[in-house]
Amino acid sequence: MEGSSLKYSAYCVSDLKACSRSDALEELLEFIPINVNSRKLIHGALEMREQAGPTTISAGISIPHCRSILVDDLTVVVGRSIRGVPWPEEPVKVMVMFISPVKPDGPHEHLAFISHVASRIKKSAEAVLNASSAESLLELLGMERKLGGVDEP
Amino acid sequence: MNLDLERLIGLHDLDVMIADLDRKDILDREKMMGLSPEKAREELLTLRSDYVRNINKKWLGLYSQLTKHYGNAVVPAVSCRCTGCLTRLPTAMCSDPERNDRINTCPTCSRIMYWAE
Repeated sequence: MEGSSLKYSAYCVSDLKACSRSDALEELLEFIPINVNSRKLIHGALEMREQAGPTTISAGISIPHCRSILVDDLTVVVGRSIRGVPWPEEPVKVMVMFISPVKPDGPHEHLAFISHVASRIKKSAEAVLNASSAESLLELLGMERKLGGVDEP
Repeated sequence: MNLDLERLIGLHDLDVMIADLDRKDILDREKMMGLSPEKAREELLTLRSDYVRNINKKWLGLYSQLTKHYGNAVVPAVSCRCTGCLTRLPTAMCSDPERNDRINTCPTCSRIMYWAE
């Protein structure tokens, strides 16, 4: 799976308004078609993971993630903030948020996606940070845009 | 949604995160990405001990027993079936519009259930 040409579907927020990590997670979660309660619970899980250790994997890039019984499929939202979001101190400009389902056969899908993102970012972190559009950002990350949420063209 | 049910779902997801960071494959991958999974796991365990203080002892006891027995204590009900043991649930339970406003357990396996709406 590493460095694969497989394309994942992702929602994309091209200009996040949030000024804090918590608000950014909330803004990203708004793109996922789930109910308010599930959104709140997933936000709590993502926050806890971040509190335990920020998921910044390269300067300006973070990968907030968790696994949850509240989603049925791997759900990815890519967000970009022009001015950067303190995460919690250093600003993060690109966020790849993903929530994987809890399945009886284990976290294979979760691990495969982590490997995919890691290889893409390792290969082109600078380009990811400076992508000129949401489309080119998704292309660099090996993803295609999933329509939905407020950023739908 | 019932507050204890919300907290039990949150606890389940927290336990999944902790268990994931116990797996060598995930641990190695996260380390390779520059994260600190061992430290994160320790922190999550501390957060867990604070988190469980807010859960009713009765439900926490059931959660612990079920987790020990099955590995997963909370499951979604889908198409009026418990997704833990696949047993068909009583129609009255599934058709109740307030089914998430209390804690329901599967009559067969006793797992805690919620309905994704």
